[in-house]
Amino acid sequence: MNPLAQWASYAASWDRLLSMIGIEIHWIILQYVLGFSFIVFLLLLIHWKTGNKHYFKLARTLTKAVGLVFAVGAATGTASEFGLVLLWPNLTEAAGRYIYFPLYAEIFAFLMEVVFIYLLVFGWSKLSPKARIAVALLAFVGAWYSASMIVSVNSYMVAPTGIVAAYDPLSGWKYNQGYPKIMLVVPSNIVAALNVPKLQSLGMEVVGKTSDAVIVLMPSKIVQRLAWEAWNNVYVKDSILMLVLNDAAKNNAALLHTPVKNIVDTILVKTVEHVGPYTVTFMSPVYPGSILHALGAALTVSGFTLIGAYGFRLLTAKDEKYKKYVEDAFKFAVYFSLIVIILQGLVFGHIMGEEIAHYNPEKLAAMEGTSSKILSLSALTGSEKLMPLIIYGNPNAKMPIYDQIPKNYCYLQPRPGLQDCRPPLIIHYIYYTKIGLGVLLGLDTLILAFLLIRGMSMPKWLLELNIASPIVAHIVSFFGWATREIGRKPWTIYGVMTVDVAHTPNPAPPALVAIIALYFIGIIIALGVAVWKLIYIPSLKEEV
Amino acid sequence: MGVSEFFLAFVFGIHIVMVNIGIALATLIPYLEWKSLKLGDNKLLENAKRLFKIYAATYGIAGVFGTAYTVFLLSYYPEFIGIAGSVTLYLFGIAILFIVLHFLCIVTYWYGWGRFSDTTHLFIGGLLAFSAYMIPFGFRSVFAFLNLPAGLEIVGPSKLGLNLAAALANPTFLPLYLKSIVGALITGFLFVAAIYAYKKYKGELDDPVYEQELIIKPARTSFYLLLIQAALGFWYIGSLTQVPYKFNNIFAALGMKIQGPGPALNLSWLFILKMLFVAIQFAALAYVLTTCKTGLTVKDLEMIKLAAASAVLGLLSGEYLNAFSQYPYFVAALPQIADKVPEPWRTVLARALDLRKANPLTTDPGLIAFTAVFLAVLLAAVIYFIYVIFIKEEKNNQ
Repeated sequence: MNPLAQWASYAASWDRLLSMIGIEIHWIILQYVLGFSFIVFLLLLIHWKTGNKHYFKLARTLTKAVGLVFAVGAATGTASEFGLVLLWPNLTEAAGRYIYFPLYAEIFAFLMEVVFIYLLVFGWSKLSPKARIAVALLAFVGAWYSASMIVSVNSYMVAPTGIVAAYDPLSGWKYNQGYPKIMLVVPSNIVAALNVPKLQSLGMEVVGKTSDAVIVLMPSKIVQRLAWEAWNNVYVKDSILMLVLNDAAKNNAALLHTPVKNIVDTILVKTVEHVGPYTVTFMSPVYPGSILHALGAALTVSGFTLIGAYGFRLLTAKDEKYKKYVEDAFKFAVYFSLIVIILQGLVFGHIMGEEIAHYNPEKLAAMEGTSSKILSLSALTGSEKLMPLIIYGNPNAKMPIYDQIPKNYCYLQPRPGLQDCRPPLIIHYIYYTKIGLGVLLGLDTLILAFLLIRGMSMPKWLLELNIASPIVAHIVSFFGWATREIGRKPWTIYGVMTVDVAHTPNPAPPALVAIIALYFIGIIIALGVAVWKLIYIPSLKEEV
Repeated sequence: MGVSEFFLAFVFGIHIVMVNIGIALATLIPYLEWKSLKLGDNKLLENAKRLFKIYAATYGIAGVFGTAYTVFLLSYYPEFIGIAGSVTLYLFGIAILFIVLHFLCIVTYWYGWGRFSDTTHLFIGGLLAFSAYMIPFGFRSVFAFLNLPAGLEIVGPSKLGLNLAAALANPTFLPLYLKSIVGALITGFLFVAAIYAYKKYKGELDDPVYEQELIIKPARTSFYLLLIQAALGFWYIGSLTQVPYKFNNIFAALGMKIQGPGPALNLSWLFILKMLFVAIQFAALAYVLTTCKTGLTVKDLEMIKLAAASAVLGLLSGEYLNAFSQYPYFVAALPQIADKVPEPWRTVLARALDLRKANPLTTDPGLIAFTAVFLAVLLAAVIYFIYVIFIKEEKNNQ
């Protein structure tokens, strides 16, 4: 199997690529808004406690950097926002209607960021030390509040609240029982029109009741079909609903001429009301791990960027006074990075991994490459034997086998945009590259910290090597997101909406997509060159 | 008007005022740089830099409130956004590409001052101004589409399309776009003139060159632009005769009803209010321009401030008039085209393009209170931000 060709075979490959470029550019920048803003707050606290002016200077430098990256981040964020609306309008509509709250609340986070980041940047010398710390706190809280909102929506897309996965680590795949299933709250008037035993024979389970509705677990293959029908303006008379309507309903002309979207909308509104419109995305079972892992990535990238930058300056600094400052900054960067990479790898990453194992078993199977059709690195390295213990805490548990996933588990009938339900195996290589590079970064900080603690001088080659560490950290972070997003295919919202449904019915031709992608890349290169020329080179000459 | 429409109108109002001032500043700042280089006048350059800080602040606020507007729109009317996103992809796309370019220009222009060559820096300034004009080119083409959906194609039961050439040839587009640009220049130039009029009043502007460049010239230009604006206004009104529902909601009560749907509302009072603000600007500027030849008096300075305030209020009343005169429809021409649209789109559009049908999940009183409290707190923070950045003295501390 050619993993690259498999990845390209899902719907909307060009627009997926364009979105990936746009959102990754935004994420590259965002990590500094999240990471540096926190580090500024931390440095101001350290300076307040110790009086060491080097930390104050580093905080000032990073504040300027936050101001710059935030401006660019706002631009790329606007582009990403409009990009989502234009390329994935049906997903945007669904998000806006049913899980709007975090997006809505995020706007206040954005306003908070703008006010407090720029208050810090431009008002630095006008604020008292305590006020500066307070503003720095509000600036980073604004940024983290923003991230916590957006990541909750993404978590819902990865594992919507109420999802029941199709895998049991002791008994294996459960597709023959209709899994994966999603919890829905179906109003009683709709239930009255349905042939419930027929639905139960298709895998629907009744799990509870409210005063005016029935709570069910509905097979995803039915849910996604209804989503497709809803966004393709299908009427009930032409819908698969005809298979499960009772006889009275089949003779109800008004019902037959009702758009499926109305039925779907009524059920989803009821479900969201039942779960809680303000909490529905935060209750996604993968949310805790996702937000910790995202913030951890931002802190890690920011830490390694400081290691790279100040390591480089250690190589070039000549002025003794300046060198002292650079040494303190480098030391801070190393210890900070060591702490966050340990947390990120051993704690946050582990929580994330466990959540994926429980709620996205197909993705786990692809990540671990449990397929005979590709060269499996986990089989090659022998790590496959350890994984059941690490992931499930049980050496007798079975890893999900990719080759046993039915190609058609997610649909009742195939359609042009939906032929293969299995996730792309390319994420196996992406994931393992990410893990390998992450381990290297961890070892790197351990060596650097060891040398610093022992008071030994830094070998020149090690400092030179570390100039590349920010890029490696970015690659690790990008590959993490790539595993998460690419690995969800063919779903856009796992168990609910597939990529072909989310996608615009009016896609731009590939040539235009390529031009736009080049335009964005060109803008980023121009910006990178400008920032390098304007900020970095003059800063080499700066004095303490 | 419901709560959702109120919040939309509120954030849109702040956004549009800031954007208009920004378009003028993006024009004026590179001009001042060019002029300072021509005259070898560093003080003029310093003023351009000061104005750029104001520009960055207005642009930041415009960006936040613009984003708030889109997010509110998405939350309250998701189906409209879904349809608009798929149909007007290219029109929005124009705006997005230039938003990104504009941000790049802002960053490189500010940080490149004194670091790039004068020619390169001026070129970036030119791009800054050009991109500032092109962003509304994209957005106003969408607004024109919302007047009259020229170029809309019903491809099938699950797909709407757009003929881009027909959309750009929309009869309401060009007058709306040009009127917006001219209106932005008037508002922004008067805003700058008012700032410097205040400085002059406080005795902080003593050089006649700055008086000429930063007060009189912007005021004079605004006066002439007002004349152009009047002509463009007539053009736009003329184009609205193709959208009777909107036209009649504004003009029927003034005795100018045309054949077609409407009036369902009477917004003639808002039109009269707008005209009143225009008349105040015109009179105030005419007064200043006839008396300033012998130097600016205190009354001249007050007149300039009055003209600037009227420009902002005129701009707001004009934008609200344009928006509310098609209420409750997102597309003003919907009443005249609805019966020609085949099913299922007739039903879908009737539902999605109706402002009264807000997302039921967003009508909770708790959400309304949350929005109101947060907006109030954050607006207070914005005011504090402006105070610290532009007014508060520097402290000598760490």
